[in-house]
Amino acid sequence: MTDKSWTIALLLSVFLLMLSGHAYPSNVKINCTDCHDNNKFKTHYKGSVHGNIGCTGCHTSFESLDRHVILKEKPLLVSCGKCHSEVEKAYKNNFHYLYEDFRCYDCHYEIHSLKPEKDNFKIAVTKNCTKCHANNEYVLSGHGAAVMKGNKDSATCSDCHGLHDTKAYHTSSEKYALEAREFYNRTCKSCHSDREMMKRNNLSPDTVKYYEETYHGKVQDLGYPTSVAGCADCHTTHNILAKDHPDSSINPKNLTKNCEKCHHGIHPRFAEYKAHPDYKDRKRYPLLYLSFITMVALLLTTFGFYWTHTLLWWRKVYWEKHRLEELGIKPESPFTHEEGIQEIRRFSIKDRVMHLLLILSFFGLVITGFPIKYHSTPWAKVLIQVMGGAHNAGLYHRAAAIVLIGLFFIALWRCLHFIFPKGFGREGRKGWMERLFGPDSLMPNIHDWQQFKGMVKWFFNKGEYPKFDRWTYWEKFDFLAIFWGMVIIGGSGITLWAPETASYIYPGWVFNIASIFHSEEALLAAIFIFTVHFFNTHLIPTKFPMDPIIFTGSYKLEELWRFRTLEYERLVREKKLDDLKIKHPGISLKLISSMFGHASLWIGLLFTLILLWTFFFA
Amino acid sequence: MTSELHNFRKIANIVINIAILFFFLSCTATPPRTSEQKYINPEKVISLIKEKKAVVVDTMSYLECMDHRIPGSLCIALEEFENKSPALLKDKKQTTIFYCESEECPRAGLTYEKAKTAGYEDIYILEGGLSAWKRTGYEVETVERIKRAPVVSIKPRVLKALAMEKKGLFVLDIRSEDAFKAGHIDGAINIPLYTLHKKLKEIPKNRPVIVVDESGKRSFLACCYLINNGFKDVVRLYGGMKHEEPRKGKKG
Repeated sequence: MTDKSWTIALLLSVFLLMLSGHAYPSNVKINCTDCHDNNKFKTHYKGSVHGNIGCTGCHTSFESLDRHVILKEKPLLVSCGKCHSEVEKAYKNNFHYLYEDFRCYDCHYEIHSLKPEKDNFKIAVTKNCTKCHANNEYVLSGHGAAVMKGNKDSATCSDCHGLHDTKAYHTSSEKYALEAREFYNRTCKSCHSDREMMKRNNLSPDTVKYYEETYHGKVQDLGYPTSVAGCADCHTTHNILAKDHPDSSINPKNLTKNCEKCHHGIHPRFAEYKAHPDYKDRKRYPLLYLSFITMVALLLTTFGFYWTHTLLWWRKVYWEKHRLEELGIKPESPFTHEEGIQEIRRFSIKDRVMHLLLILSFFGLVITGFPIKYHSTPWAKVLIQVMGGAHNAGLYHRAAAIVLIGLFFIALWRCLHFIFPKGFGREGRKGWMERLFGPDSLMPNIHDWQQFKGMVKWFFNKGEYPKFDRWTYWEKFDFLAIFWGMVIIGGSGITLWAPETASYIYPGWVFNIASIFHSEEALLAAIFIFTVHFFNTHLIPTKFPMDPIIFTGSYKLEELWRFRTLEYERLVREKKLDDLKIKHPGISLKLISSMFGHASLWIGLLFTLILLWTFFFA
Repeated sequence: MTSELHNFRKIANIVINIAILFFFLSCTATPPRTSEQKYINPEKVISLIKEKKAVVVDTMSYLECMDHRIPGSLCIALEEFENKSPALLKDKKQTTIFYCESEECPRAGLTYEKAKTAGYEDIYILEGGLSAWKRTGYEVETVERIKRAPVVSIKPRVLKALAMEKKGLFVLDIRSEDAFKAGHIDGAINIPLYTLHKKLKEIPKNRPVIVVDESGKRSFLACCYLINNGFKDVVRLYGGMKHEEPRKGKKG
């Protein structure tokens, strides 16, 4: 209608109104159904759910019935929210309202004859939604088929998409990628972690728990849902079918294609990965079970041994110190004061820089890796948030891993150089056995065993403190543990970094084992460094609170004589001691060393406390 | 020994720099909006309307605008701006706010550009469109409501099968003329939504109709309009032309 015709209509209506006056005397009672005589209003309405409130219960906004009768006044749109206020509140954010301007009666079609649903509610929802969303995939799916059979647990449309609060996610999953994935994962989990419901329907009640123990599940829980598989990525959305159905996305025939959606260029074996296994189930997953048990055994043995060792050592040193203090005895020394304070070099600049990088990369790996391992704890969420999401944490983790792997190869190269200083020729090879098992080597030998026995005797006051050469057996263990750890953590880490390529070497279930190895070995390494290594080298009463030698590179002649007697004697014998004499380290080096060393030490100890809290309280 | 210390310092420097770099990498900020278009939020719009200081323009089609709009809006579809604006928006200094259906719809922004070129000075785009207006809790007005009806949407991959099944399928493309020229389904007829109420007679009532739009968001109302006007067999294309081309997979 143009503006002109509007004006004409308005004038006309005013004119008619003036002519008509009051169409009915006010004492005449008019029934709505006198005019609205459709069966819908006349007969069906009374029996409907709203039958008791009458026409004007909903159609309220009349100014004048007379004007309505002569078709001059239309009632305003019905406000259902007057009674259904909760629904209205939810509906204000409904997709259908915001983007399609749907009103109540657009879904509740026959509002005047609406009766309480005799059918199962879920069937009614499915029937109503599919009037527009003719989703054959859903109707044929496991969920849809079960709903139509009358299963009251199975998911109908509204169970995932909401009823009156349908979000905009499902139509705009590109825009709301994060929200949609988080929302739907949560929705799947809410039913599939309901133990009673799952048991009722012959489904595994722990699937969600096992999923959350995998890398996908952990990262997903930390809020990195764009790049790890959530429920729908493997199981699809509407056409979820049982595994044995030929069209099911998780049917073994379709599984490789399913994984390939995210993991491009994989070998078909990739699909042998177990997406949510119970690795404590010996019968179904014997290899996973074995891996888990092996790692637990390794952790228990290592810690059982070293923590006992540490405790006994601490007891001995503390008691000894107490005895000397009590009797006022000062430790003996063969040196004059000036001789004793002479600095002797122990670590070269290369050693120190490597150790520094080792600390940085190790801390980097721990800080970026452990929040994934313990994803559900509050500290993990904070750390991940500080790093700007699990995606960034992953990047830093890989960057730190590259540094550590680099150090590993440098160490390997230096070992080779140590054993074959003049190359691999006949001349160079000469004497390599002596060098490998000699006093400067970190290779364990028979003396370590004797020194260990001596140490144990000393712990129990049965002998003197054993004489050590350049490397003690616990230092050798520290060094070699990195090699063994690097093979396990590094190997599994690289596998998990590039699983697509790895699938050409071994099948997908190896990734499950790699996850267990990577995670448990990391725990072993971190706790070992933060307790045993820290104690042996820093926290022991003779060095407490910190030994800066690995940063400054040198210590006093008296310390060399006291703790590495055999080396001192050997150096004197071979007349090499003078070569190692250096000036006292400068103040700036000492200050930096002390600051960095203390920072590392306290971060490590704090982290140990956090882990202990996690084990016992989280 | 000083050289050793010097080396140590050098390395410490590098290490500290890397640490600082890592720190900054982790605080990646969101990029600023590149366009220089001026946006306005629903709260400000409603106060401007109350003070009668602004004109609000619905840039959707006439049908959509009559169905639901911000109370008192003018209906000037993007495509009709050049024709309608001289009569409806006479004052080029008047505060004018353009909006469209939702935050994803580009029509308000495109109208804004046209208005800017035409010399309008005080123009804005309603941030988040009509859906943001509704989210804020403000009402919309209805002049001529299109009764909603159940409309089946057809996924693009079954389109061919549908054409085989339904003889004489009439593919109605309701996108703008320009979009239609840039590419369309074979045999489709272009009646842009802003002209649909005038050109209804051009659509044969005895043939099944499939309505195709930009992204699947506008075809529903067009279908309802057709059904209300006596068309029996009306379906729409799921996702509109957006899903016509195969989408590229994303690497995870």
